[in-house]
Amino acid sequence: MKKLLYKFALLAALLVLMNWIYGKFFFKNDLLKHSDEVQLAWNIAHDSCAMVYTGESSNHTFAWADKDRRKISDFIFDQFPEMRCGDMTKDASHAEVYYYLLKHIPDDSPVETVIVTMNLRSFGYNWIESNLETPIQKQLVLLKDNPPLVNRFKLAFKAYDMSTNAERAEHRVYHRNHDTLVFPYNFEYHTNYEWDYNTNRKGIMNADGTRNQEKTLLAITFIQQYAFQIHDDNPRVKDFDNIVELARQRGWNLIFNILAENTEQAQNLLGNDLVFLMRQNRDYLVNRYGNLENVTVVDNLEAVPDQYFIDRTFTTEHYTEAGRRIIADNVADAVISASPQF
Amino acid sequence: MLFNSIEYVIFLPIVVMLFYLLPQRYRWMMLLVASCTFYMWFVPAYILILLGTIIIDYSAGILMEKHADNHKLKKRYFVISIVSTCLVLFVFKYLGFVNDNFVALCQALSLNVNTTVDLILPIGLSFHTFQSMSYVIEVYRGNQKAERNFGIYSLYVMFFPQLVTGPIERPGNLLRQLHEEKKFEYDNISKGFRLIIFGLFIKMVVADNVGAYVDMIYADPGKYSSWDILIGMFFYSFQIYGDFFGYSTIALGSAKLMGFCISDNFNTPYLSKSIAEFWHRWHISLSTWFRDYVYFPLGGSRVKFGRWAYNIMVVFILSGIWHGAAWNFLIWGAAHGLLHIVEKAILNHIPEKENRGRLEKIIVDGFKIAKTFLLVTLFWSIFRATSFANISELFQALFNNFGVTEHLGIESSIWVYLGLFIVMDILLFNSRFDRWCDKRPAVVRWAIYFVLIFMIIACSSVNNFPFIYFQF
Repeated sequence: MKKLLYKFALLAALLVLMNWIYGKFFFKNDLLKHSDEVQLAWNIAHDSCAMVYTGESSNHTFAWADKDRRKISDFIFDQFPEMRCGDMTKDASHAEVYYYLLKHIPDDSPVETVIVTMNLRSFGYNWIESNLETPIQKQLVLLKDNPPLVNRFKLAFKAYDMSTNAERAEHRVYHRNHDTLVFPYNFEYHTNYEWDYNTNRKGIMNADGTRNQEKTLLAITFIQQYAFQIHDDNPRVKDFDNIVELARQRGWNLIFNILAENTEQAQNLLGNDLVFLMRQNRDYLVNRYGNLENVTVVDNLEAVPDQYFIDRTFTTEHYTEAGRRIIADNVADAVISASPQF
Repeated sequence: MLFNSIEYVIFLPIVVMLFYLLPQRYRWMMLLVASCTFYMWFVPAYILILLGTIIIDYSAGILMEKHADNHKLKKRYFVISIVSTCLVLFVFKYLGFVNDNFVALCQALSLNVNTTVDLILPIGLSFHTFQSMSYVIEVYRGNQKAERNFGIYSLYVMFFPQLVTGPIERPGNLLRQLHEEKKFEYDNISKGFRLIIFGLFIKMVVADNVGAYVDMIYADPGKYSSWDILIGMFFYSFQIYGDFFGYSTIALGSAKLMGFCISDNFNTPYLSKSIAEFWHRWHISLSTWFRDYVYFPLGGSRVKFGRWAYNIMVVFILSGIWHGAAWNFLIWGAAHGLLHIVEKAILNHIPEKENRGRLEKIIVDGFKIAKTFLLVTLFWSIFRATSFANISELFQALFNNFGVTEHLGIESSIWVYLGLFIVMDILLFNSRFDRWCDKRPAVVRWAIYFVLIFMIIACSSVNNFPFIYFQF
């Protein structure tokens, strides 16, 4: 037994040596190979950016008719011509991705202001358990706060959430069936599923009393995406808390940008009830983060009118140029009010 | 639970520690619970099928022994046991295939039949079914006493290191060991550890890394150049070898940690000089199973050439369909059988030249090894293909795509991993990694551990490749 303990000690020493070798000679290449989004953080440092915008597809998606097809972040940066600015945009990403990307901005980089996209839908289980989540989790492994060799070990031995699409679908169904919706007034449906099912069953009617299938499907999509309530145990809340803590440690001025959702369409299709939940979730985020030091929450939830949303058959935060400019102007105003130098 | 998963990295040390901490009389219970947990990690309900075959074969064993002097009754129990075990295998593995072919035949004859069978194959069914059958056969033959302890018999069928892809054990080896008291020995821990890291290296670094290119080739053969197709075919030979050999080596190592010796499944098969020799070195536990329970009862080789050829074809076709319920497996098995017969026929007429010089021997042996490897690689392409159309597309691309400029873009590191594996395989000729290490100085041994562990962590594929033989 003594011999075995001695050998284990030797093995532990070798592992420490391996970690050093891996970190020194292999880790950077592996990061670029398996977590290539880290390049976004390195670019921020490389370009000595003072302002950083993090976002997903809402940042760069444009309508074909747009005269200016630039990103929301570009419209914001236009208003600070003296500053070096950069964006970290990755499709389908969410607060956990932003957190690890921000963490990989080196400590000595001159970042002062960080604008983080707060997408309301990303708090719902349709997004948390989306099929894109397994590849995202795989990409995050190497970015996590462990010694490089430990992260590579976890990647090799699949020690991350690698749920299959079927398992994720099961989780989504579970939350749709079990997460109770609490309204301050009497509302006939108590879960996302109940609401969705009955809306589909009853259908959205045309003026002549016939079923409007197109509107019914859109209404169902809205329910599936927005009929939830954010609580303290929501994984995205934990991620935003981590971002707040990181910003505090780094002395960053943090701006949370609550993206606009098509509340107008939601109102038209389903009346006040779904919009109530959307506003309630917005209020939760504003109350949780809006009062913190060096944190500003920009409330764009209802800032963009229906006609500036690009996608008409699904709920997205993709805006036309006018919509992107509205968001950018509001964020830029918040940056100016939050930063004494402006 | 996969051997190359974080769950197993946690599970195995816990089981090993509990094994040595518990008194001997409780060990089998703990191992049985561990084996059930291991198996149920995949799909819990499958354990009921396993339980069914265990109950049948356990009861048959006792009843055969009880009626040892009544041959008719004993045979009846034997037949009931074998038929029911095979029936389970048939229903879950072959019924869908038979149904699909029946429907296709009926449709060809313009009959309106459209039945479907949609059963999922429980993991490792062919392996534990064969292990279970070997027990029944040995008891029937009187070579093995019937196991009275239901728990220990269940453990014999379910012993987690070799439960899902073998080696297919015999009661004379494993069942006996399950009754023995295993004392803690440093040597077992050391050898087990060596085998596990070597197995993980060939699975995770070699097989999985080349596997990514194999998948690309077989997904769309027409897209790649002839040269790439050829590389893809060779890569598959190393993928399937690394994958299965890796699994078997981890199984051996996991068992060895607790002092259990399970059978070797591979012995440098790609250094075989003939197809016959290949089958003495590849998936040894399956080959010997077919040899002992099918080939010998059919008459083996002590018969006329024609009958021997028939025996060989039966064994190889059975071996082919054991792998999977599809025509390509059957053809693969038949091709190996035919080649085996042709080889023997040629050797019967061209006697081996004796007293060759050293250089001449090396050249001739090298030629034989290359020839066997090429043929095996060719046959693996039938084994790997997803359909006849896929095989046809692969060979069309192999012979016609000389001008295609699309390349696989193989990373240079892949050649390093493959080269290292080939060198190690040659060094391990007729040996085994743990024994080979015994003969090296401590510094060399630890340097090898260092490189292997480092490569397992830093160079392994990040893609999720399940073990190929899981599907069988």
